Amino acid sequence: MNKIIELKDVWKIYKIDSFEFAALRGINLDIVKGEFIAIMGSSGSGKSTLLNSVGALDVPSKGRIILDGHDIALLPESDLAQIRGQRIGFIFQAFNLVPSLSAIENVMLPMTFQGILRKERIQRAEKLLDAVGLKEKLYSKPNTLSGGQRQRVAIARSLSNNPEVILADEPTGNLDSKTGGDILNLLINLQKTENKTLIIVTHDEKIAKRADRIAVLSDGQVVKIIKNKK
Amino acid sequence: MIADYVRISFNSIRHRKLRSWLTIIGIIIGIGSIIALISLSQGLQNSIEAQFASFGPDRIIISAKNFQGPGSVFAGITEKDVETTKRIGILRSVSPALARQAQFEYKDKIVFSLLFSIPAAEYIESFADFSPKLEAGRHIREGDKYVVVIGYSVANDMFDKEIRINNRITINGKKFVVVGIQKESGNRDEDNQIATTLEAAREILNEPEDVDMIIARAKSGQDIESVADKIEKALKRSRDDENFQVITPKEIAAQINQVLGVMQAVLVGIAAISLLVGGIGIMNSMYTSVLERTKDIGIMKSIGARNSDILWLFLLEAGMVGFVGGFFGLLLGIGISFGVGEIASQAGIPLLIKPNVYLILFGLFFAIVVGIISGVLPAFQAAKLKPVDALRYE
Repeated sequence: MNKIIELKDVWKIYKIDSFEFAALRGINLDIVKGEFIAIMGSSGSGKSTLLNSVGALDVPSKGRIILDGHDIALLPESDLAQIRGQRIGFIFQAFNLVPSLSAIENVMLPMTFQGILRKERIQRAEKLLDAVGLKEKLYSKPNTLSGGQRQRVAIARSLSNNPEVILADEPTGNLDSKTGGDILNLLINLQKTENKTLIIVTHDEKIAKRADRIAVLSDGQVVKIIKNKK
Repeated sequence: MIADYVRISFNSIRHRKLRSWLTIIGIIIGIGSIIALISLSQGLQNSIEAQFASFGPDRIIISAKNFQGPGSVFAGITEKDVETTKRIGILRSVSPALARQAQFEYKDKIVFSLLFSIPAAEYIESFADFSPKLEAGRHIREGDKYVVVIGYSVANDMFDKEIRINNRITINGKKFVVVGIQKESGNRDEDNQIATTLEAAREILNEPEDVDMIIARAKSGQDIESVADKIEKALKRSRDDENFQVITPKEIAAQINQVLGVMQAVLVGIAAISLLVGGIGIMNSMYTSVLERTKDIGIMKSIGARNSDILWLFLLEAGMVGFVGGFFGLLLGIGISFGVGEIASQAGIPLLIKPNVYLILFGLFFAIVVGIISGVLPAFQAAKLKPVDALRYE
């Protein structure tokens, strides 16, 4: 089995004044390339912290996070930025589009930071927005788009630098169940056709059931791994 | 790459239209007032220098000490001093001049004004080329006596009826023929001047000896300051006093420039304060922009923006605000200076306003620099935000 991400005894400890709080307490988890894994757990169980650490948005206090054989846990910010830009695509519950930029500009933005030529960026962004069904909304600002449409833009954006790993934090949490279902189908479709590794943080059982595996977190520890039968 | 950042920053400025414009207005006022104040005081300097240029760089004026200009009360210079000056022998010309209040009458209207006079034979050499050019008629020349050359306002405004060439005006009861009318110069003293021959003036003013000033001209190539020095020594010896002054154009220009320099420094100081306020405005706006867009910064970082990218974006934003403010500030400043210049010349104070390329470039550059400097701190603050903290910000 081809492991793309390995978490080895990952700890995240927040210090507030003299009070210490461990959000992650020695997480060990291997994720296989092309797999869809759901991370579940009650609020405060550490699932978002885990996702942020895997996505190089946050640095663990202790332990190792190995992405494709390289430990990224203690890299400097500039290297982390590069990893976020090239290897990882992030999808958020609140969509997190840049409000001053149009749909296509939002999709182009990650490519801008990687220094890709404008012509190529436009072509690729158009193709991606077409693929998520937003061909007609290329130049719309986020505030003119519906929640479902915004999340589609966010998905197109997460794919713009063709990353190996897609991380989604409650991607359907702000959407009604039908739209949420569509978005989930879109993500799973991508994972299958493009062989992406998809990690979704959710507390929605229906989403979790469609994953290959479910990692259940409690109090900052993986308490259970469930393999779904297909 | 930089074009993309400009586009992103520009979008962000547009997105926060009102606040951006308020900041820009601060810069517009700052730059506008600096440009206006500098070009107005430069205009003043220009017009003073232009007057001195018409005065002639080779002229030396000898007058009694505390001589405050034609018409003021003074005494002390006589024909004897004219002779002494002539005897030095190094000057191209030496002419005595007399300038006194006199009574002028034309078509039953009586006006009191200044009568300027110089020997008829020396009028052209000593005087004609530093008074306004003629609109009609001729200069006073050798052999003339009861003739006058009048300024533009004298011909057109001073009396009830316009004066034409060959009209006669009465000065202190004696009739004079108008042989020349000068063009409008914009300078009140010049436009109100009436010039005649010294020979006639001595007669009607009953002033056989006194001289108000001596107009001397140096030969070309002579060092004017050393010539002035020699005149001063000769006069000191012959008069045995120091109740006279020898003035060169350079000295006057230096004195005026000194005064103007102080004035300019004060004006620029005032304008700099308003620019400082504008700069603080940019800084404030950039800080709010950083706060407002903490989440955007988090988003950008989560999709691969490096700290340097964020820094650039914010600096560009600040620089662009500075540039736009500087640009409109320049327009405002130039507009104000031309407006004030126009009003001033209508009021009789000519200001030669010339748009100065260096000043314009300086204004624009300064505005951008103020923008960037004010943006540096907020931009650094934005750049060093941790992505996960920035994302959590609502």
